[in-house]
Amino acid sequence: MKKSRSVDVKPPVVDDGSFYAKHQKVYPRQVSGLFASLRTTGVLVLLSLYYFVPWLKWDDRQAVLFDLPARKFYVFGITFWPQDFFYLAMLLIIAGLALFFFTSLAGRLWCGYACPQTVWTEVFLWIERKVEGSRAKQIKLDKADWGRRKLRLKITKQSIWILFSLWTGFTFVGYFTPITTLGQELVNLSTGPWETFWIIFYSFATYGNAGWLREQVCIYMCPYARFQSAMFDRDTLIISYDEQRGEPRGSRKKGSDPAIQGIGDCIDCTLCVQVCPTGIDIRDGLQYECIGCAACIDVCNTVMEQMDYKMGLIRYTTENTLNGKRTHVLRPRIIIYATLLTGLTVLLLYMILTRSPLELDIMRDRNTLYRELPGGLVENVYTLRVINKSEKERRFQLSVSGIEGLTLVSKQTLIPVAAGEVVELSASLRLDPVVLKRPSNKIQFILESTEGDPVKATQESRFIGPVIR
Amino acid sequence: MEHKKTPQSENQIPIVQQVISVLWPSFLTAGIATIFTFTFFDPQEIVLCTGHEAQINRLGIYSLGFFLFWVLTSSSCALTCYFRRPVRPH
Repeated sequence: MKKSRSVDVKPPVVDDGSFYAKHQKVYPRQVSGLFASLRTTGVLVLLSLYYFVPWLKWDDRQAVLFDLPARKFYVFGITFWPQDFFYLAMLLIIAGLALFFFTSLAGRLWCGYACPQTVWTEVFLWIERKVEGSRAKQIKLDKADWGRRKLRLKITKQSIWILFSLWTGFTFVGYFTPITTLGQELVNLSTGPWETFWIIFYSFATYGNAGWLREQVCIYMCPYARFQSAMFDRDTLIISYDEQRGEPRGSRKKGSDPAIQGIGDCIDCTLCVQVCPTGIDIRDGLQYECIGCAACIDVCNTVMEQMDYKMGLIRYTTENTLNGKRTHVLRPRIIIYATLLTGLTVLLLYMILTRSPLELDIMRDRNTLYRELPGGLVENVYTLRVINKSEKERRFQLSVSGIEGLTLVSKQTLIPVAAGEVVELSASLRLDPVVLKRPSNKIQFILESTEGDPVKATQESRFIGPVIR
Repeated sequence: MEHKKTPQSENQIPIVQQVISVLWPSFLTAGIATIFTFTFFDPQEIVLCTGHEAQINRLGIYSLGFFLFWVLTSSSCALTCYFRRPVRPH
Protein backbone atom coordinates (compact mmCIF):
# COMPACT_ATOMS: atom_id res chain seq x y z
CA MET A 1 0.00 0.00 0.00
CA LYS A 2 2.63 2.47 1.11
CA LYS A 3 4.90 1.41 -1.70
CA SER A 4 2.41 2.41 -4.35
CA ARG A 5 1.86 5.85 -2.85
CA SER A 6 5.29 6.96 -1.80
CA VAL A 7 7.89 8.16 -4.23
CA ASP A 8 11.16 6.36 -4.58
CA VAL A 9 13.87 8.56 -3.15
CA LYS A 10 17.41 7.29 -3.43
CA PRO A 11 19.39 7.02 -0.19
CA PRO A 12 22.59 9.07 0.11
CA VAL A 13 25.64 7.48 -1.41
CA VAL A 14 28.18 6.57 1.23
CA ASP A 15 31.84 6.82 0.34
CA ASP A 16 33.51 3.50 -0.28
CA GLY A 17 34.39 2.26 3.15
CA SER A 18 37.17 4.65 4.06
CA PHE A 19 36.91 5.65 7.71
CA TYR A 20 37.61 9.32 7.18
CA ALA A 21 35.31 9.84 4.24
CA LYS A 22 36.84 12.89 2.64
CA HIS A 23 34.29 15.58 2.01
CA GLN A 24 34.46 17.00 -1.51
CA LYS A 25 33.80 20.71 -1.49
CA VAL A 26 30.86 21.68 -3.68
CA TYR A 27 31.38 24.82 -5.74
CA PRO A 28 27.92 25.85 -6.91
CA ARG A 29 28.02 27.85 -10.11
CA GLN A 30 26.09 31.12 -10.14
CA VAL A 31 22.72 30.88 -11.82
CA SER A 32 20.10 33.31 -12.99
CA GLY A 33 16.51 32.76 -13.99
CA LEU A 34 12.99 32.72 -12.65
CA PHE A 35 13.61 30.49 -9.63
CA ALA A 36 16.93 32.13 -8.81
CA SER A 37 15.16 35.52 -8.65
CA LEU A 38 12.43 34.00 -6.48
CA ARG A 39 15.05 32.65 -4.11
CA THR A 40 16.96 35.94 -4.02
CA THR A 41 13.71 37.75 -3.21
CA GLY A 42 12.99 35.24 -0.46
CA VAL A 43 16.50 35.59 0.94
CA LEU A 44 16.37 39.39 0.92
CA VAL A 45 12.92 39.59 2.52
CA LEU A 46 13.75 37.07 5.25
CA LEU A 47 17.15 38.58 6.03
CA SER A 48 15.82 42.12 6.22
CA LEU A 49 13.08 40.89 8.56
CA TYR A 50 15.65 39.12 10.73
CA TYR A 51 18.08 42.04 10.98
CA PHE A 52 15.46 44.80 11.11
CA VAL A 53 12.69 43.55 13.43
CA PRO A 54 14.65 43.85 16.73
CA TRP A 55 15.14 47.57 16.04
CA LEU A 56 11.39 48.25 15.78
CA LYS A 57 9.83 50.22 18.62
CA TRP A 58 6.39 49.85 20.19
CA ASP A 59 5.46 52.57 22.70
CA ASP A 60 8.68 52.94 24.66
CA ARG A 61 10.04 49.45 24.29
CA GLN A 62 11.34 47.03 21.69
CA ALA A 63 8.41 45.77 19.60
CA VAL A 64 9.54 42.14 19.48
CA LEU A 65 11.51 41.10 22.55
CA PHE A 66 11.65 37.68 24.15
CA ASP A 67 12.74 39.00 27.50
CA LEU A 68 14.08 35.82 29.10
CA PRO A 69 15.58 37.52 32.18
CA ALA A 70 12.19 39.07 32.99
CA ARG A 71 10.24 35.98 31.91
CA LYS A 72 7.94 37.73 29.45
CA PHE A 73 7.63 37.92 25.68
CA TYR A 74 6.63 41.14 23.98
CA VAL A 75 5.17 40.76 20.51
CA PHE A 76 4.05 44.22 19.40
CA GLY A 77 1.08 45.18 21.59
CA ILE A 78 0.78 41.89 23.44
CA THR A 79 2.76 40.62 26.41
CA PHE A 80 2.97 36.89 26.95
CA TRP A 81 3.77 35.34 30.33
CA PRO A 82 4.91 31.80 31.12
CA GLN A 83 1.22 31.02 31.77
CA ASP A 84 0.61 31.56 28.04
CA PHE A 85 2.82 28.62 27.07
CA PHE A 86 -0.23 27.06 25.43
CA TYR A 87 -0.12 29.63 22.61
CA LEU A 88 3.48 28.73 21.83
CA ALA A 89 2.66 25.03 21.75
CA MET A 90 -0.23 25.74 19.40
CA LEU A 91 1.96 27.89 17.18
CA LEU A 92 4.46 25.03 16.89
CA ILE A 93 1.68 22.60 15.92
CA ILE A 94 0.52 25.05 13.24
CA ALA A 95 4.09 25.40 11.95
CA GLY A 96 4.39 21.60 11.76
CA LEU A 97 1.09 21.28 9.90
CA ALA A 98 2.12 24.02 7.46
CA LEU A 99 5.28 22.07 6.72
CA PHE A 100 3.25 18.91 6.03
CA PHE A 101 0.82 20.83 3.84
CA PHE A 102 3.41 22.57 1.69
CA THR A 103 5.59 19.47 1.41
CA SER A 104 2.71 17.33 0.15
CA LEU A 105 1.69 20.04 -2.27
CA ALA A 106 4.98 21.25 -3.69
CA GLY A 107 7.83 19.24 -2.21
CA ARG A 108 10.77 20.86 -0.48
CA LEU A 109 9.66 24.48 -0.91
CA TRP A 110 10.91 25.22 2.59
CA CYS A 111 14.41 23.90 1.88
CA GLY A 112 14.83 25.66 -1.43
CA TYR A 113 13.58 29.10 -0.55
CA ALA A 114 13.07 29.76 3.16
CA CYS A 115 15.23 27.55 5.39
CA PRO A 116 17.77 29.60 7.39
CA GLN A 117 20.45 27.15 6.23
CA THR A 118 19.67 28.00 2.58
CA VAL A 119 19.27 31.71 3.27
CA TRP A 120 22.57 32.15 5.10
CA THR A 121 24.44 29.81 2.76
CA GLU A 122 23.27 32.00 -0.15
CA VAL A 123 24.77 35.04 1.57
CA PHE A 124 28.03 33.24 2.26
CA LEU A 125 28.21 32.01 -1.34
CA TRP A 126 27.56 35.54 -2.55
CA ILE A 127 30.44 36.87 -0.41
CA GLU A 128 32.65 34.03 -1.64
CA ARG A 129 31.89 34.91 -5.28
CA LYS A 130 32.47 38.63 -4.72
CA VAL A 131 35.90 37.94 -3.22
CA GLU A 132 37.18 34.88 -5.06
CA GLY A 133 35.31 35.17 -8.34
CA SER A 134 33.33 32.64 -10.35
CA ARG A 135 33.19 28.89 -9.77
CA ALA A 136 36.12 28.19 -12.10
CA LYS A 137 38.25 30.85 -10.40
CA GLN A 138 37.40 29.42 -6.97
CA ILE A 139 38.43 25.91 -7.99
CA LYS A 140 41.64 27.24 -9.51
CA LEU A 141 42.41 29.29 -6.41
CA ASP A 142 41.92 26.32 -4.10
CA LYS A 143 44.24 24.18 -6.23
CA ALA A 144 46.91 26.90 -6.41
CA ASP A 145 49.87 26.98 -4.04
CA TRP A 146 49.70 29.30 -1.10
CA GLY A 147 51.02 32.65 -2.23
CA ARG A 148 50.43 36.30 -1.52
CA ARG A 149 47.30 36.55 -3.65
CA LYS A 150 45.67 33.41 -2.28
CA LEU A 151 46.42 34.46 1.29
CA ARG A 152 44.99 37.92 0.69
CA LEU A 153 41.78 36.58 -0.88
CA LYS A 154 41.27 33.93 1.78
CA ILE A 155 41.85 36.39 4.63
CA THR A 156 39.45 38.90 3.06
CA LYS A 157 36.75 36.26 2.59
CA GLN A 158 37.14 34.87 6.11
CA SER A 159 37.10 38.35 7.67
CA ILE A 160 33.89 39.31 5.88
CA TRP A 161 32.34 35.96 6.84
CA ILE A 162 33.32 36.41 10.48
CA LEU A 163 32.08 40.01 10.65
CA PHE A 164 28.79 39.04 9.04
CA SER A 165 28.45 36.11 11.47
CA LEU A 166 29.13 38.36 14.45
CA TRP A 167 26.45 40.78 13.30
CA THR A 168 24.09 37.81 12.93
CA GLY A 169 24.94 36.59 16.46
CA PHE A 170 24.49 40.09 17.85
CA THR A 171 21.06 40.38 16.20
CA PHE A 172 20.08 36.98 17.57
CA VAL A 173 20.89 37.97 21.15
CA GLY A 174 19.10 41.28 20.44
CA TYR A 175 15.84 39.33 20.32
CA PHE A 176 16.38 38.30 23.95
CA THR A 177 17.92 41.37 25.58
CA PRO A 178 17.07 44.94 24.48
CA ILE A 179 19.14 45.47 21.34
CA THR A 180 19.85 49.20 21.78
CA THR A 181 21.39 48.60 25.22
CA LEU A 182 23.23 45.58 23.87
CA GLY A 183 24.58 47.71 21.01
CA GLN A 184 25.87 50.36 23.42
CA GLU A 185 27.44 47.68 25.59
CA LEU A 186 29.08 46.15 22.55
CA VAL A 187 30.55 49.50 21.53
CA ASN A 188 31.94 49.95 25.07
CA LEU A 189 32.99 46.26 25.13
CA SER A 190 30.97 45.80 28.31
CA THR A 191 28.44 43.12 27.35
CA GLY A 192 27.53 40.69 30.13
CA PRO A 193 29.32 37.31 30.17
CA TRP A 194 26.28 35.31 29.01
CA GLU A 195 25.35 37.78 26.29
CA THR A 196 28.94 37.66 25.00
CA PHE A 197 28.89 33.88 25.12
CA TRP A 198 25.65 33.56 23.15
CA ILE A 199 26.73 36.16 20.55
CA ILE A 200 29.87 34.10 19.93
CA PHE A 201 27.98 30.80 20.02
CA TYR A 202 25.40 31.88 17.45
CA SER A 203 28.03 33.57 15.27
CA PHE A 204 30.10 30.41 15.33
CA ALA A 205 27.06 28.31 14.39
CA THR A 206 26.27 30.64 11.47
CA TYR A 207 29.88 30.69 10.32
CA GLY A 208 30.29 26.92 10.59
CA ASN A 209 26.95 25.97 9.03
CA ALA A 210 26.86 28.49 6.18
CA GLY A 211 30.57 28.77 5.55
CA TRP A 212 31.83 25.21 5.95
CA LEU A 213 29.18 22.55 6.52
CA ARG A 214 26.63 23.84 3.97
CA GLU A 215 24.94 20.90 2.21
CA GLN A 216 26.20 18.50 4.90
CA VAL A 217 23.76 20.14 7.32
CA CYS A 218 20.91 19.15 5.00
CA ILE A 219 22.27 15.65 4.42
CA TYR A 220 23.36 14.66 7.93
CA MET A 221 21.73 17.03 10.39
CA CYS A 222 18.29 17.86 9.13
CA PRO A 223 15.54 15.61 10.48
CA TYR A 224 13.06 17.05 7.98
CA ALA A 225 15.22 16.00 5.05
CA ARG A 226 15.15 12.46 6.37
CA PHE A 227 11.40 12.09 6.73
CA GLN A 228 10.12 14.40 4.00
CA SER A 229 9.85 11.55 1.50
CA ALA A 230 7.07 10.09 3.66
CA MET A 231 4.99 13.18 2.88
CA PHE A 232 5.53 12.87 -0.86
CA ASP A 233 3.07 11.14 -3.11
CA ARG A 234 2.72 10.80 -6.86
CA ASP A 235 0.96 14.15 -7.10
CA THR A 236 3.62 16.14 -5.27
CA LEU A 237 5.54 18.74 -7.26
CA ILE A 238 9.11 17.57 -7.68
CA ILE A 239 12.04 18.74 -9.74
CA SER A 240 12.62 16.17 -12.40
CA TYR A 241 14.62 15.52 -15.50
CA ASP A 242 12.56 14.35 -18.46
CA GLU A 243 14.43 11.17 -19.23
CA GLN A 244 12.27 10.20 -22.19
CA ARG A 245 13.00 13.51 -23.88
CA GLY A 246 16.62 13.90 -22.86
CA GLU A 247 18.12 10.43 -23.34
CA PRO A 248 20.36 9.30 -24.88
CA ARG A 249 22.33 12.40 -23.95
CA GLY A 250 25.22 13.59 -26.03
CA SER A 251 27.08 16.60 -27.34
CA ARG A 252 26.25 17.99 -30.78
CA LYS A 253 26.84 20.94 -33.04
CA LYS A 254 24.39 23.81 -32.69
CA GLY A 255 21.71 23.60 -35.34
CA SER A 256 22.28 19.91 -36.11
CA ASP A 257 19.28 17.60 -35.92
CA PRO A 258 19.57 15.32 -32.88
CA ALA A 259 17.12 12.86 -34.44
CA ILE A 260 19.61 12.07 -37.21
CA GLN A 261 22.37 11.46 -34.65
CA GLY A 262 19.96 9.34 -32.61
CA ILE A 263 20.32 11.41 -29.43
CA GLY A 264 17.84 13.15 -27.12
CA ASP A 265 17.57 16.77 -26.06
CA CYS A 266 20.19 16.61 -23.27
CA ILE A 267 23.44 18.03 -24.62
CA ASP A 268 25.32 16.71 -21.58
CA CYS A 269 26.82 20.11 -20.75
CA THR A 270 26.74 19.15 -17.00
CA LEU A 271 25.70 22.67 -16.06
CA CYS A 272 22.87 21.20 -13.99
CA VAL A 273 25.51 19.41 -11.89
CA GLN A 274 27.69 22.51 -11.61
CA VAL A 275 24.92 24.74 -10.23
CA CYS A 276 23.69 22.17 -7.70
CA PRO A 277 24.38 23.34 -4.12
CA THR A 278 24.38 19.72 -2.91
CA GLY A 279 26.48 18.45 -5.80
CA ILE A 280 24.10 15.86 -7.24
CA ASP A 281 23.15 14.99 -10.80
CA ILE A 282 19.38 15.49 -11.15
CA ARG A 283 19.45 13.26 -14.24
CA ASP A 284 19.99 10.27 -11.93
CA GLY A 285 16.43 10.71 -10.63
CA LEU A 286 14.88 12.11 -7.46
CA GLN A 287 17.47 12.02 -4.72
CA TYR A 288 17.45 12.48 -1.00
CA GLU A 289 20.05 15.28 -1.24
CA CYS A 290 17.91 17.42 -3.56
CA ILE A 291 16.74 20.47 -1.60
CA GLY A 292 14.41 21.60 -4.39
CA CYS A 293 16.19 24.89 -5.09
CA ALA A 294 15.44 24.66 -8.84
CA ALA A 295 18.87 26.01 -9.83
CA CYS A 296 19.16 23.16 -12.36
CA ILE A 297 15.83 24.17 -13.92
CA ASP A 298 17.02 27.73 -14.43
CA VAL A 299 20.34 26.77 -15.94
CA CYS A 300 18.92 24.03 -18.18
CA ASN A 301 16.29 26.43 -19.51
CA THR A 302 19.02 28.90 -20.53
CA VAL A 303 20.77 26.10 -22.41
CA MET A 304 17.54 24.94 -24.07
CA GLU A 305 16.89 28.52 -25.15
CA GLN A 306 20.36 28.77 -26.68
CA MET A 307 19.87 25.48 -28.49
CA ASP A 308 16.41 26.54 -29.71
CA TYR A 309 14.86 23.56 -27.96
CA LYS A 310 11.67 23.56 -25.93
CA MET A 311 12.26 24.62 -22.32
CA GLY A 312 11.54 22.31 -19.42
CA LEU A 313 13.89 19.37 -19.96
CA ILE A 314 14.32 19.72 -16.21
CA ARG A 315 11.17 21.12 -14.63
CA TYR A 316 8.72 21.14 -11.74
CA THR A 317 6.42 18.25 -12.41
CA THR A 318 4.80 15.31 -10.67
CA GLU A 319 5.43 11.59 -10.82
CA ASN A 320 1.95 11.12 -12.32
CA THR A 321 2.54 13.65 -15.11
CA LEU A 322 5.86 12.03 -15.96
CA ASN A 323 4.07 8.71 -16.30
CA GLY A 324 1.41 10.27 -18.51
CA LYS A 325 -1.30 10.23 -15.87
CA ARG A 326 -3.40 13.06 -14.45
CA THR A 327 -2.18 15.07 -11.47
CA HIS A 328 -4.67 15.65 -8.68
CA VAL A 329 -3.99 18.81 -6.72
CA LEU A 330 -7.05 18.43 -4.52
CA ARG A 331 -6.60 15.05 -2.88
CA PRO A 332 -7.63 13.82 0.58
CA ARG A 333 -4.36 14.54 2.37
CA ILE A 334 -4.18 18.09 0.97
CA ILE A 335 -7.78 18.77 1.96
CA ILE A 336 -7.25 17.38 5.48
CA TYR A 337 -4.03 19.36 6.05
CA ALA A 338 -5.59 22.54 4.64
CA THR A 339 -8.69 22.23 6.83
CA LEU A 340 -6.68 21.56 9.99
CA LEU A 341 -4.26 24.36 9.17
CA THR A 342 -6.94 26.97 8.54
CA GLY A 343 -8.99 25.84 11.54
CA LEU A 344 -6.10 25.98 13.99
CA THR A 345 -4.78 29.29 12.65
CA VAL A 346 -8.18 30.96 12.96
CA LEU A 347 -8.61 29.48 16.45
CA LEU A 348 -5.19 30.74 17.58
CA LEU A 349 -5.80 34.23 16.20
CA TYR A 350 -9.23 34.33 17.84
CA MET A 351 -7.80 33.19 21.17
CA ILE A 352 -5.01 35.75 21.09
CA LEU A 353 -7.31 38.61 20.09
CA THR A 354 -9.89 37.81 22.75
CA ARG A 355 -7.30 36.88 25.36
CA SER A 356 -8.31 38.18 28.79
CA PRO A 357 -5.61 39.89 30.84
CA LEU A 358 -7.13 38.27 33.94
CA GLU A 359 -7.41 34.58 34.69
CA LEU A 360 -9.18 32.94 37.61
CA ASP A 361 -8.93 29.26 38.62
CA ILE A 362 -11.03 27.75 41.38
CA MET A 363 -10.17 24.52 43.19
CA ARG A 364 -12.54 23.04 45.76
CA ASP A 365 -11.01 21.73 48.97
CA ARG A 366 -10.40 18.06 48.25
CA ASN A 367 -10.49 16.78 51.82
CA THR A 368 -14.00 17.63 52.98
CA LEU A 369 -17.12 18.12 50.96
CA TYR A 370 -18.58 20.56 53.48
CA ARG A 371 -18.31 21.50 57.15
CA GLU A 372 -21.19 22.18 59.55
CA LEU A 373 -20.54 25.19 61.72
CA PRO A 374 -21.97 25.76 65.21
CA GLY A 375 -25.17 27.73 64.66
CA GLY A 376 -26.34 25.60 61.71
CA LEU A 377 -24.43 27.22 58.84
CA VAL A 378 -22.63 25.06 56.24
CA GLU A 379 -19.17 26.02 54.97
CA ASN A 380 -17.27 25.08 51.72
CA VAL A 381 -13.59 25.90 51.29
CA TYR A 382 -11.95 26.88 47.98
CA THR A 383 -8.50 27.79 46.75
CA LEU A 384 -8.40 30.60 44.20
CA ARG A 385 -5.61 31.33 41.74
CA VAL A 386 -5.59 34.80 40.24
CA ILE A 387 -3.28 35.54 37.31
CA ASN A 388 -2.76 39.13 36.21
CA LYS A 389 -1.42 39.05 32.64
CA SER A 390 -1.51 42.81 32.14
CA GLU A 391 1.48 45.16 32.26
CA LYS A 392 0.62 46.88 35.58
CA GLU A 393 -0.38 46.05 39.14
CA ARG A 394 -4.12 45.76 39.62
CA ARG A 395 -6.65 45.31 42.42
CA PHE A 396 -9.55 42.99 41.98
CA GLN A 397 -12.82 42.78 43.88
CA LEU A 398 -14.00 39.23 44.59
CA SER A 399 -17.68 38.34 44.87
CA VAL A 400 -19.96 35.31 44.53
CA SER A 401 -23.38 34.65 43.10
CA GLY A 402 -25.64 31.70 42.36
CA ILE A 403 -27.51 31.07 45.61
CA GLU A 404 -29.50 33.57 47.64
CA GLY A 405 -27.88 34.29 51.03
CA LEU A 406 -24.42 32.95 50.16
CA THR A 407 -21.73 34.82 52.11
CA LEU A 408 -18.07 35.05 51.21
CA VAL A 409 -15.56 34.80 54.02
CA SER A 410 -11.99 35.60 53.07
CA LYS A 411 -9.03 37.38 54.62
CA GLN A 412 -9.23 39.80 51.73
CA THR A 413 -11.87 40.47 49.12
CA LEU A 414 -9.86 43.25 47.50
CA ILE A 415 -6.91 41.41 45.99
CA PRO A 416 -3.82 43.26 44.75
CA VAL A 417 -1.89 41.37 42.03
CA ALA A 418 1.36 42.66 40.56
CA ALA A 419 1.97 42.59 36.80
CA GLY A 420 2.46 39.06 35.54
CA GLU A 421 2.03 37.61 39.03
CA VAL A 422 0.01 34.66 40.24
CA VAL A 423 -1.69 35.01 43.62
CA GLU A 424 -3.20 32.08 45.49
CA LEU A 425 -5.65 32.61 48.29
CA SER A 426 -8.23 30.59 50.12
CA ALA A 427 -11.82 31.64 50.54
CA SER A 428 -14.80 30.00 52.16
CA LEU A 429 -18.48 30.29 51.48
CA ARG A 430 -21.15 30.01 54.19
CA LEU A 431 -24.85 29.35 53.80
CA ASP A 432 -27.89 28.36 55.81
CA PRO A 433 -28.67 24.90 54.32
CA VAL A 434 -32.48 25.36 54.52
CA VAL A 435 -32.36 27.17 51.14
CA LEU A 436 -30.62 24.22 49.42
CA LYS A 437 -32.83 22.15 47.08
CA ARG A 438 -30.04 19.87 45.88
CA PRO A 439 -26.87 18.61 47.50
CA SER A 440 -24.69 20.12 44.76
CA ASN A 441 -25.30 23.65 43.48
CA LYS A 442 -23.79 25.78 40.77
CA ILE A 443 -22.19 29.01 41.91
CA GLN A 444 -20.01 31.67 40.28
CA PHE A 445 -16.97 33.46 41.54
CA ILE A 446 -16.64 36.92 40.00
CA LEU A 447 -13.44 38.93 39.93
CA GLU A 448 -13.51 42.55 38.76
CA SER A 449 -10.89 45.24 38.50
CA THR A 450 -11.62 48.22 40.74
CA GLU A 451 -9.79 50.89 38.77
CA GLY A 452 -8.62 51.53 35.21
CA ASP A 453 -10.13 49.78 32.23
CA PRO A 454 -12.72 47.21 33.31
CA VAL A 455 -11.53 43.60 33.39
CA LYS A 456 -13.74 40.79 34.59
CA ALA A 457 -13.34 37.05 35.05
CA THR A 458 -16.12 34.67 36.01
CA GLN A 459 -15.49 31.10 37.02
CA GLU A 460 -18.02 28.44 37.87
CA SER A 461 -17.75 26.08 40.83
CA ARG A 462 -20.01 24.08 43.12
CA PHE A 463 -21.37 24.54 46.61
CA ILE A 464 -22.13 21.28 48.40
CA GLY A 465 -24.32 20.88 51.46
CA PRO A 466 -26.97 18.68 53.13
CA VAL A 467 -30.57 19.00 51.93
CA ILE A 468 -32.88 19.62 54.87
CA ARG A 469 -36.60 18.90 54.42
CA MET B 1 12.52 1.10 -1.79
CA GLU B 2 15.43 -0.88 -3.03
CA HIS B 3 18.25 -0.48 -0.60
CA LYS B 4 18.40 -3.83 1.10
CA LYS B 5 22.18 -4.01 1.11
CA THR B 6 23.91 -5.47 4.13
CA PRO B 7 23.71 -3.04 7.01
CA GLN B 8 26.48 -0.51 6.82
CA SER B 9 29.07 -1.25 9.45
CA GLU B 10 29.99 1.59 11.78
CA ASN B 11 33.17 2.54 10.00
CA GLN B 12 31.37 3.01 6.70
CA ILE B 13 29.54 5.98 8.15
CA PRO B 14 31.46 9.23 7.59
CA ILE B 15 33.03 10.64 10.72
CA VAL B 16 31.07 13.92 10.32
CA GLN B 17 27.85 11.94 10.45
CA GLN B 18 28.99 10.05 13.56
CA VAL B 19 29.88 13.21 15.46
CA ILE B 20 26.70 14.95 14.33
CA SER B 21 24.53 11.97 15.28
CA VAL B 22 25.68 12.42 18.89
CA LEU B 23 25.84 16.21 19.21
CA TRP B 24 22.93 17.33 17.09
CA PRO B 25 19.92 15.29 18.33
CA SER B 26 21.08 15.93 21.90
CA PHE B 27 21.26 19.67 21.14
CA LEU B 28 17.66 19.65 19.90
CA THR B 29 16.29 17.65 22.84
CA ALA B 30 18.30 19.69 25.35
CA GLY B 31 16.76 22.83 23.84
CA ILE B 32 13.25 21.44 24.23
CA ALA B 33 13.98 20.27 27.78
CA THR B 34 15.30 23.73 28.68
CA ILE B 35 12.24 25.47 27.28
CA PHE B 36 9.87 23.19 29.19
CA THR B 37 11.78 23.29 32.47
CA PHE B 38 12.14 27.04 32.63
CA THR B 39 8.64 27.75 31.40
CA PHE B 40 7.23 25.93 34.38
CA PHE B 41 9.95 26.64 36.95
CA ASP B 42 11.36 30.06 37.55
CA PRO B 43 15.08 29.77 38.45
CA GLN B 44 14.55 32.54 40.99
CA GLU B 45 12.08 30.35 42.85
CA ILE B 46 14.32 27.28 42.64
CA VAL B 47 17.12 29.27 44.27
CA LEU B 48 14.75 30.58 46.96
CA CYS B 49 13.63 27.02 47.70
CA THR B 50 17.20 26.00 48.48
CA GLY B 51 17.31 28.69 51.15
CA HIS B 52 19.72 31.06 49.40
CA GLU B 53 18.64 34.64 49.12
CA ALA B 54 21.20 35.77 46.60
CA GLN B 55 19.96 37.56 43.50
CA ILE B 56 20.76 35.38 40.54
CA ASN B 57 21.19 36.07 36.87
CA ARG B 58 18.32 34.29 35.11
CA LEU B 59 20.10 34.29 31.76
CA GLY B 60 23.05 32.53 33.41
CA ILE B 61 20.84 29.86 34.96
CA TYR B 62 19.05 29.27 31.64
CA SER B 63 22.39 28.87 29.89
CA LEU B 64 23.82 26.55 32.55
CA GLY B 65 20.57 24.56 32.54
CA PHE B 66 20.79 24.19 28.79
CA PHE B 67 24.37 22.92 28.89
CA LEU B 68 23.59 20.56 31.74
CA PHE B 69 20.77 19.10 29.67
CA TRP B 70 23.06 18.93 26.64
CA VAL B 71 25.69 17.00 28.60
CA LEU B 72 23.01 14.54 29.75
CA THR B 73 21.35 14.08 26.37
CA SER B 74 24.63 13.81 24.48
CA SER B 75 25.93 11.18 26.93
CA SER B 76 22.82 9.17 26.25
CA CYS B 77 23.27 9.59 22.48
CA ALA B 78 26.93 8.60 22.75
CA LEU B 79 26.05 5.49 24.76
CA THR B 80 23.43 4.50 22.19
CA CYS B 81 26.03 4.82 19.43
CA TYR B 82 28.53 2.83 21.47
CA PHE B 83 26.14 -0.02 22.22
CA ARG B 84 25.03 -0.19 18.60
CA ARG B 85 28.45 -1.56 17.65
CA PRO B 86 28.54 -5.29 17.04
CA VAL B 87 29.49 -7.25 20.17
CA ARG B 88 31.86 -9.45 18.19
CA PRO B 89 33.74 -7.98 15.28
CA HIS B 90 33.35 -10.14 12.15
